[in-house]
Amino acid sequence: MTKKRQPAGLRRANDPPVLILTSLAAGAKHGHALARDIKEFAGVNLGPGALYGAITRLEERGLIEPLDSDDRRRPYRITRAGSAALAEVVHDMRRLADVGAARLGLTWGSTA
Amino acid sequence: MSRDPHQKDGLLRGYPPAWRARYGDELLAMVEEDLGGRRPTRRFRLSLVSAGLRERAHEAGMIGAGPSAAGPVRAGSLVILCAWAAFVLAGASFSKVAEHFARAVPVASRTLPQDAFTAVAALGVSAAVLVALGALIALPSFVRFVRAGGWPSVRGHVHRAIGLSVLMAAGLVPLSVWAHHLDTVQRNGGDAAYAAVIGAWSLVVAATLAQWTAAGVAAARRITFSPALLRLESLMAVIVAGAMLAITAATALWWAAMAHDAPWFLTGTASVGSHHPSPFDVQLVATLALMTVAVLTAAYGVYRIVRFRARLGVT
Repeated sequence: MTKKRQPAGLRRANDPPVLILTSLAAGAKHGHALARDIKEFAGVNLGPGALYGAITRLEERGLIEPLDSDDRRRPYRITRAGSAALAEVVHDMRRLADVGAARLGLTWGSTA
Repeated sequence: MSRDPHQKDGLLRGYPPAWRARYGDELLAMVEEDLGGRRPTRRFRLSLVSAGLRERAHEAGMIGAGPSAAGPVRAGSLVILCAWAAFVLAGASFSKVAEHFARAVPVASRTLPQDAFTAVAALGVSAAVLVALGALIALPSFVRFVRAGGWPSVRGHVHRAIGLSVLMAAGLVPLSVWAHHLDTVQRNGGDAAYAAVIGAWSLVVAATLAQWTAAGVAAARRITFSPALLRLESLMAVIVAGAMLAITAATALWWAAMAHDAPWFLTGTASVGSHHPSPFDVQLVATLALMTVAVLTAAYGVYRIVRFRARLGVT
Protein backbone atom coordinates (compact mmCIF):
# COMPACT_ATOMS: atom_id res chain seq x y z
CA MET A 1 0.00 0.00 0.00
CA THR A 2 1.43 3.38 -0.93
CA LYS A 3 0.84 6.39 1.26
CA LYS A 4 -0.46 9.41 -0.61
CA ARG A 5 1.71 12.50 -0.13
CA GLN A 6 -0.44 15.33 1.17
CA PRO A 7 -0.13 18.74 -0.45
CA ALA A 8 2.49 21.05 1.06
CA GLY A 9 3.29 18.60 3.84
CA LEU A 10 -0.18 18.71 5.36
CA ARG A 11 -1.45 15.60 7.12
CA ARG A 12 -4.73 14.72 8.78
CA ALA A 13 -7.56 16.46 10.57
CA ASN A 14 -5.92 17.18 13.93
CA ASP A 15 -2.61 18.23 12.40
CA PRO A 16 -1.87 21.79 13.66
CA PRO A 17 -1.27 23.21 10.15
CA VAL A 18 -4.63 21.83 8.95
CA LEU A 19 -6.37 23.27 12.02
CA ILE A 20 -4.74 26.66 11.48
CA LEU A 21 -5.64 26.77 7.78
CA THR A 22 -9.22 25.75 8.63
CA SER A 23 -9.44 28.53 11.18
CA LEU A 24 -7.94 31.12 8.85
CA ALA A 25 -10.34 30.08 6.06
CA ALA A 26 -12.97 31.99 8.06
CA GLY A 27 -10.84 35.14 8.20
CA ALA A 28 -7.54 36.58 9.43
CA LYS A 29 -6.63 36.00 13.09
CA HIS A 30 -3.72 36.51 15.47
CA GLY A 31 -2.21 33.73 17.59
CA HIS A 32 -4.51 33.88 20.60
CA ALA A 33 -7.67 34.12 18.47
CA LEU A 34 -6.47 31.19 16.38
CA ALA A 35 -5.93 29.01 19.45
CA ARG A 36 -9.37 29.95 20.84
CA ASP A 37 -11.13 29.24 17.52
CA ILE A 38 -9.36 25.88 17.11
CA LYS A 39 -10.35 24.92 20.64
CA GLU A 40 -13.97 25.75 19.78
CA PHE A 41 -14.35 23.97 16.45
CA ALA A 42 -11.97 21.02 16.95
CA GLY A 43 -11.62 20.70 20.72
CA VAL A 44 -7.84 20.77 20.32
CA ASN A 45 -5.81 22.84 22.74
CA LEU A 46 -2.83 24.21 20.82
CA GLY A 47 -0.19 25.72 23.09
CA PRO A 48 1.83 28.76 21.98
CA GLY A 49 4.90 26.63 21.10
CA ALA A 50 3.00 24.20 18.88
CA LEU A 51 0.91 26.99 17.33
CA TYR A 52 3.89 29.16 16.39
CA GLY A 53 5.88 26.16 15.18
CA ALA A 54 3.05 25.42 12.74
CA ILE A 55 2.67 29.11 11.81
CA THR A 56 6.40 29.23 10.98
CA ARG A 57 6.16 26.17 8.69
CA LEU A 58 2.98 27.45 6.99
CA GLU A 59 4.52 30.85 6.34
CA GLU A 60 7.71 29.21 4.99
CA ARG A 61 5.58 27.26 2.51
CA GLY A 62 3.62 30.35 1.50
CA LEU A 63 0.31 28.91 2.74
CA ILE A 64 -0.35 31.82 5.11
CA GLU A 65 0.95 35.39 5.29
CA PRO A 66 1.22 37.99 8.04
CA LEU A 67 -0.78 41.19 7.86
CA ASP A 68 0.52 44.58 8.91
CA SER A 69 -0.31 45.45 12.48
CA ASP A 70 0.49 48.19 14.95
CA ASP A 71 -0.19 45.69 17.69
CA ARG A 72 2.30 43.09 18.95
CA ARG A 73 -0.39 40.53 18.10
CA ARG A 74 0.24 40.10 14.39
CA PRO A 75 -2.71 38.64 12.44
CA TYR A 76 -2.31 36.05 9.65
CA ARG A 77 -4.43 35.23 6.65
CA ILE A 78 -4.62 32.22 4.39
CA THR A 79 -3.07 32.62 0.91
CA ARG A 80 -4.45 31.29 -2.37
CA ALA A 81 -1.95 28.40 -2.17
CA GLY A 82 -3.09 27.76 1.41
CA SER A 83 -6.74 27.63 0.35
CA ALA A 84 -5.89 25.19 -2.45
CA ALA A 85 -3.88 22.97 -0.09
CA LEU A 86 -6.68 23.00 2.48
CA ALA A 87 -9.29 22.24 -0.19
CA GLU A 88 -7.31 19.19 -1.24
CA VAL A 89 -6.98 17.94 2.33
CA VAL A 90 -10.67 18.52 3.02
CA HIS A 91 -11.53 16.68 -0.21
CA ASP A 92 -9.41 13.70 0.89
CA MET A 93 -10.99 13.71 4.34
CA ARG A 94 -14.46 13.83 2.82
CA ARG A 95 -13.67 10.89 0.52
CA LEU A 96 -12.39 8.86 3.49
CA ALA A 97 -15.39 9.86 5.59
CA ASP A 98 -17.78 8.88 2.79
CA VAL A 99 -16.19 5.44 2.49
CA GLY A 100 -16.28 4.96 6.25
CA ALA A 101 -19.90 6.12 6.49
CA ALA A 102 -20.98 3.85 3.61
CA ARG A 103 -19.31 0.83 5.15
CA LEU A 104 -20.90 1.55 8.52
CA GLY A 105 -24.29 2.17 6.93
CA LEU A 106 -24.39 5.71 8.29
CA THR A 107 -26.28 8.55 6.71
CA TRP A 108 -24.81 12.04 7.06
CA GLY A 109 -26.72 13.93 9.66
CA SER A 110 -27.83 10.83 11.56
CA THR A 111 -26.58 10.22 15.06
CA ALA A 112 -26.85 6.41 14.90
CA MET B 1 14.57 44.16 24.87
CA SER B 2 13.63 44.67 28.45
CA ARG B 3 9.96 45.61 28.33
CA ASP B 4 8.71 42.08 28.82
CA PRO B 5 9.26 40.30 32.11
CA HIS B 6 8.64 36.85 30.55
CA GLN B 7 11.52 37.37 28.17
CA LYS B 8 13.76 38.09 31.15
CA ASP B 9 12.58 34.79 32.59
CA GLY B 10 14.00 33.18 29.49
CA LEU B 11 10.74 31.75 28.14
CA LEU B 12 12.09 32.02 24.62
CA ARG B 13 15.66 31.00 25.36
CA GLY B 14 15.28 27.73 23.45
CA TYR B 15 14.47 29.53 20.19
CA PRO B 16 17.14 30.54 17.66
CA PRO B 17 17.90 34.30 17.59
CA ALA B 18 16.58 34.82 14.04
CA TRP B 19 13.29 33.16 14.97
CA ARG B 20 13.00 35.28 18.15
CA ALA B 21 13.57 38.41 16.10
CA ARG B 22 10.78 37.45 13.70
CA TYR B 23 8.15 35.82 15.94
CA GLY B 24 9.28 36.44 19.53
CA ASP B 25 7.21 39.54 20.21
CA GLU B 26 3.93 38.08 18.95
CA LEU B 27 4.54 34.77 20.70
CA LEU B 28 5.10 36.62 23.97
CA ALA B 29 1.93 38.64 23.35
CA MET B 30 0.01 35.38 23.00
CA VAL B 31 1.66 33.93 26.10
CA GLU B 32 0.62 37.01 28.09
CA GLU B 33 -2.97 36.67 26.88
CA ASP B 34 -2.99 32.95 27.65
CA LEU B 35 -1.61 33.40 31.12
CA GLY B 36 -3.72 36.44 31.98
CA GLY B 37 -1.27 37.67 34.61
CA ARG B 38 -0.54 34.26 36.19
CA ARG B 39 2.98 32.93 36.40
CA PRO B 40 3.83 30.31 33.77
CA THR B 41 3.87 26.77 35.16
CA ARG B 42 6.92 24.55 34.85
CA ARG B 43 5.11 22.45 32.23
CA PHE B 44 4.27 25.54 30.22
CA ARG B 45 7.91 26.68 30.33
CA LEU B 46 9.13 23.23 29.31
CA SER B 47 6.73 23.13 26.36
CA LEU B 48 8.15 26.44 25.12
CA VAL B 49 11.74 25.33 25.64
CA SER B 50 11.13 22.12 23.72
CA ALA B 51 9.30 24.00 20.95
CA GLY B 52 12.30 26.35 20.77
CA LEU B 53 14.73 23.45 20.51
CA ARG B 54 12.56 21.94 17.75
CA GLU B 55 12.76 25.29 15.97
CA ARG B 56 16.57 25.22 16.28
CA ALA B 57 16.61 21.71 14.83
CA HIS B 58 14.40 22.93 11.98
CA GLU B 59 16.65 25.89 11.34
CA ALA B 60 19.70 23.61 11.21
CA GLY B 61 17.90 21.33 8.73
CA MET B 62 17.97 18.43 11.22
CA ILE B 63 14.21 17.82 11.15
CA GLY B 64 11.35 18.68 8.80
CA ALA B 65 11.49 19.59 5.14
CA GLY B 66 12.43 23.27 5.30
CA PRO B 67 12.03 25.74 2.45
CA SER B 68 14.66 24.00 0.27
CA ALA B 69 16.38 20.62 0.06
CA ALA B 70 19.81 22.21 0.58
CA GLY B 71 19.22 22.61 4.34
CA PRO B 72 18.46 18.95 5.14
CA VAL B 73 21.17 17.65 2.76
CA ARG B 74 23.78 19.98 4.27
CA ALA B 75 22.65 19.06 7.80
CA GLY B 76 22.83 15.36 6.97
CA SER B 77 26.38 15.76 5.68
CA LEU B 78 27.41 17.71 8.78
CA VAL B 79 25.86 15.10 11.08
CA ILE B 80 28.07 12.53 9.35
CA LEU B 81 31.10 14.81 9.80
CA CYS B 82 30.39 15.05 13.55
CA ALA B 83 29.89 11.28 13.75
CA TRP B 84 33.20 10.85 11.93
CA ALA B 85 34.99 13.02 14.50
CA ALA B 86 33.71 10.75 17.30
CA PHE B 87 34.66 7.76 15.20
CA VAL B 88 38.25 8.98 14.88
CA LEU B 89 38.52 8.96 18.68
CA ALA B 90 37.13 5.42 18.79
CA GLY B 91 39.60 4.43 16.07
CA ALA B 92 42.53 5.85 18.05
CA SER B 93 41.35 3.93 21.10
CA PHE B 94 41.10 0.74 19.04
CA SER B 95 44.61 1.13 17.64
CA LYS B 96 45.88 1.43 21.24
CA VAL B 97 43.93 -1.67 22.36
CA ALA B 98 45.14 -3.68 19.36
CA GLU B 99 48.79 -2.63 19.72
CA HIS B 100 51.09 -5.66 19.08
CA PHE B 101 48.10 -8.05 18.96
CA ALA B 102 49.70 -10.25 16.29
CA ARG B 103 52.37 -11.41 18.76
CA ALA B 104 49.66 -12.79 21.05
CA VAL B 105 47.88 -14.87 18.43
CA PRO B 106 49.11 -18.34 17.46
CA VAL B 107 50.49 -18.24 13.90
CA ALA B 108 47.87 -20.69 12.62
CA SER B 109 45.02 -18.39 13.76
CA ARG B 110 46.54 -15.08 12.78
CA THR B 111 44.90 -14.59 9.37
CA LEU B 112 41.39 -13.55 10.45
CA PRO B 113 42.30 -10.95 13.12
CA GLN B 114 45.11 -9.67 10.91
CA ASP B 115 42.77 -9.25 7.92
CA ALA B 116 40.13 -7.58 10.10
CA PHE B 117 42.73 -5.19 11.51
CA THR B 118 44.06 -4.42 8.02
CA ALA B 119 40.49 -3.71 6.86
CA VAL B 120 39.95 -1.31 9.80
CA ALA B 121 43.17 0.53 8.99
CA ALA B 122 42.61 0.67 5.22
CA LEU B 123 38.98 1.79 5.52
CA GLY B 124 39.94 4.34 8.20
CA VAL B 125 42.63 5.89 6.00
CA SER B 126 40.32 5.90 2.95
CA ALA B 127 37.52 7.61 4.88
CA ALA B 128 39.97 10.15 6.35
CA VAL B 129 41.23 10.96 2.84
CA LEU B 130 37.63 11.40 1.70
CA VAL B 131 36.88 13.78 4.59
CA ALA B 132 40.03 15.80 3.77
CA LEU B 133 39.01 15.85 0.10
CA GLY B 134 35.55 17.08 1.12
CA ALA B 135 37.16 19.96 3.02
CA LEU B 136 39.46 20.70 0.09
CA ILE B 137 36.72 20.97 -2.51
CA ALA B 138 34.74 23.22 -0.16
CA LEU B 139 37.77 25.53 0.22
CA PRO B 140 36.98 27.88 -2.73
CA SER B 141 33.45 28.40 -1.35
CA PHE B 142 34.96 29.08 2.09
CA VAL B 143 37.37 31.65 0.61
CA ARG B 144 34.45 33.40 -1.12
CA PHE B 145 32.56 33.36 2.19
CA VAL B 146 35.50 34.93 4.03
CA ARG B 147 35.98 37.58 1.31
CA ALA B 148 32.29 38.40 1.55
CA GLY B 149 32.81 39.31 5.23
CA GLY B 150 31.88 36.00 6.86
CA TRP B 151 35.11 35.58 8.85
CA PRO B 152 33.86 37.17 12.13
CA SER B 153 31.10 34.55 12.37
CA VAL B 154 33.61 31.66 12.49
CA ARG B 155 36.67 33.43 13.88
CA GLY B 156 36.05 32.38 17.48
CA HIS B 157 35.76 28.69 16.56
CA VAL B 158 38.92 28.78 14.45
CA HIS B 159 40.93 30.65 17.10
CA ARG B 160 39.92 28.14 19.78
CA ALA B 161 40.79 25.25 17.47
CA ILE B 162 44.22 26.74 16.71
CA GLY B 163 44.87 27.35 20.42
CA LEU B 164 44.02 23.74 21.28
CA SER B 165 46.15 22.47 18.38
CA VAL B 166 49.13 24.43 19.69
CA LEU B 167 48.55 23.02 23.18
CA MET B 168 48.32 19.50 21.76
CA ALA B 169 51.51 19.88 19.72
CA ALA B 170 53.35 21.45 22.67
CA GLY B 171 52.47 18.45 24.81
CA LEU B 172 53.51 15.92 22.20
CA VAL B 173 57.27 16.55 22.29
CA PRO B 174 57.88 16.22 26.06
CA LEU B 175 55.50 13.24 26.17
CA SER B 176 57.44 11.48 23.40
CA VAL B 177 60.74 12.11 25.22
CA TRP B 178 59.23 10.85 28.48
CA ALA B 179 57.78 7.73 26.78
CA HIS B 180 61.21 7.00 25.27
CA HIS B 181 62.63 6.60 28.78
CA LEU B 182 59.91 4.17 29.93
CA ASP B 183 59.56 0.44 29.28
CA THR B 184 56.45 -1.19 27.77
CA VAL B 185 54.78 -1.94 31.12
CA GLN B 186 55.31 1.62 32.38
CA ARG B 187 53.93 3.03 29.14
CA ASN B 188 50.80 0.88 29.46
CA GLY B 189 49.55 1.93 32.86
CA GLY B 190 52.53 0.89 35.00
CA ASP B 191 53.56 4.50 35.65
CA ALA B 192 50.68 6.37 37.29
CA ALA B 193 52.09 9.85 36.58
CA TYR B 194 52.65 9.03 32.91
CA ALA B 195 49.16 7.50 32.63
CA ALA B 196 47.60 10.63 34.17
CA VAL B 197 49.47 12.98 31.82
CA ILE B 198 48.63 10.81 28.80
CA GLY B 199 44.98 10.86 29.92
CA ALA B 200 45.00 14.66 30.15
CA TRP B 201 46.74 14.97 26.78
CA SER B 202 44.15 12.61 25.21
CA LEU B 203 41.44 14.94 26.45
CA VAL B 204 43.21 17.87 24.76
CA VAL B 205 43.36 15.81 21.53
CA ALA B 206 39.63 15.05 21.79
CA ALA B 207 38.85 18.73 22.50
CA THR B 208 41.01 19.80 19.53
CA LEU B 209 39.19 17.42 17.22
CA ALA B 210 35.81 18.56 18.55
CA GLN B 211 36.75 22.22 18.13
CA TRP B 212 37.96 21.81 14.53
CA THR B 213 34.75 19.91 13.79
CA ALA B 214 32.71 22.71 15.37
CA ALA B 215 34.63 25.25 13.26
CA GLY B 216 33.93 23.20 10.13
CA VAL B 217 30.24 22.91 10.97
CA ALA B 218 29.94 26.63 11.80
CA ALA B 219 31.53 27.56 8.47
CA ALA B 220 29.65 24.97 6.38
CA ARG B 221 26.32 26.12 7.82
CA ARG B 222 26.98 29.65 6.60
CA ILE B 223 28.59 28.97 3.22
CA THR B 224 26.46 28.97 0.09
CA PHE B 225 27.16 25.74 -1.79
CA SER B 226 26.03 25.17 -5.36
CA PRO B 227 23.61 22.22 -5.74
CA ALA B 228 26.31 20.30 -7.69
CA LEU B 229 28.90 20.79 -4.93
CA LEU B 230 26.39 19.90 -2.22
CA ARG B 231 25.44 16.78 -4.17
CA LEU B 232 29.12 15.77 -4.35
CA GLU B 233 29.81 16.56 -0.68
CA SER B 234 26.74 14.60 0.44
CA LEU B 235 27.74 11.62 -1.71
CA MET B 236 31.17 11.63 -0.08
CA ALA B 237 29.52 11.87 3.34
CA VAL B 238 27.35 8.84 2.58
CA ILE B 239 30.46 6.88 1.52
CA VAL B 240 32.20 7.89 4.77
CA ALA B 241 29.15 6.68 6.72
CA GLY B 242 29.36 3.36 4.84
CA ALA B 243 33.07 3.11 5.70
CA MET B 244 32.21 3.72 9.37
CA LEU B 245 29.75 0.84 9.31
CA ALA B 246 32.31 -1.45 7.64
CA ILE B 247 35.02 -0.42 10.14
CA THR B 248 32.68 -1.19 13.04
CA ALA B 249 31.92 -4.61 11.56
CA ALA B 250 35.66 -5.29 11.02
CA THR B 251 36.42 -4.22 14.60
CA ALA B 252 33.74 -6.56 15.93
CA LEU B 253 35.18 -9.34 13.75
CA TRP B 254 38.68 -8.65 15.10
CA TRP B 255 37.30 -8.78 18.63
CA ALA B 256 35.49 -12.08 17.98
CA ALA B 257 38.62 -13.60 16.42
CA MET B 258 40.78 -12.44 19.32
CA ALA B 259 38.23 -13.65 21.87
CA HIS B 260 38.31 -17.04 20.20
CA ASP B 261 42.03 -17.39 19.55
CA ALA B 262 43.79 -15.18 22.07
CA PRO B 263 41.44 -14.05 24.87
CA TRP B 264 44.41 -13.61 27.21
CA PHE B 265 45.47 -10.64 25.04
CA LEU B 266 42.16 -8.88 25.69
CA THR B 267 42.34 -9.58 29.42
CA GLY B 268 45.88 -8.35 29.60
CA THR B 269 46.97 -11.63 31.17
CA ALA B 270 50.61 -12.33 30.51
CA SER B 271 50.55 -16.09 30.00
CA VAL B 272 48.92 -17.95 27.15
CA GLY B 273 47.67 -20.70 29.42
CA SER B 274 45.48 -18.56 31.78
CA HIS B 275 42.22 -20.17 32.83
CA HIS B 276 38.94 -18.64 31.56
CA PRO B 277 40.27 -15.28 30.45
CA SER B 278 37.42 -12.82 29.78
CA PRO B 279 37.17 -11.33 26.28
CA PHE B 280 35.49 -8.20 27.67
CA ASP B 281 38.14 -5.52 27.86
CA VAL B 282 36.62 -2.30 29.21
CA GLN B 283 38.38 -0.04 26.71
CA LEU B 284 37.37 -2.26 23.80
CA VAL B 285 33.73 -2.35 24.94
CA ALA B 286 33.74 1.46 25.26
CA THR B 287 35.41 1.77 21.86
CA LEU B 288 32.82 -0.37 20.10
CA ALA B 289 30.01 1.41 21.94
CA LEU B 290 31.33 4.77 20.70
CA MET B 291 31.68 3.38 17.18
CA THR B 292 28.09 2.11 17.29
CA VAL B 293 26.74 5.45 18.52
CA ALA B 294 28.70 7.22 15.77
CA VAL B 295 27.38 4.84 13.11
CA LEU B 296 23.78 5.31 14.29
CA THR B 297 24.27 9.09 14.25
CA ALA B 298 25.73 8.89 10.74
CA ALA B 299 22.78 6.71 9.68
CA TYR B 300 20.45 9.59 10.58
CA GLY B 301 22.60 11.87 8.41
CA VAL B 302 22.36 9.39 5.54
CA TYR B 303 18.57 9.27 5.99
CA ARG B 304 18.34 13.07 5.71
CA ILE B 305 20.58 13.09 2.62
CA VAL B 306 18.81 10.24 0.83
CA ARG B 307 15.40 11.73 1.56
CA PHE B 308 16.17 15.19 0.16
CA ARG B 309 19.11 14.80 -2.26
CA ALA B 310 16.96 14.25 -5.35
CA ARG B 311 15.28 17.62 -4.78
CA LEU B 312 18.56 19.58 -4.72
CA GLY B 313 18.45 22.46 -7.17
CA VAL B 314 14.71 21.97 -7.74
CA THR B 315 12.80 25.14 -6.93
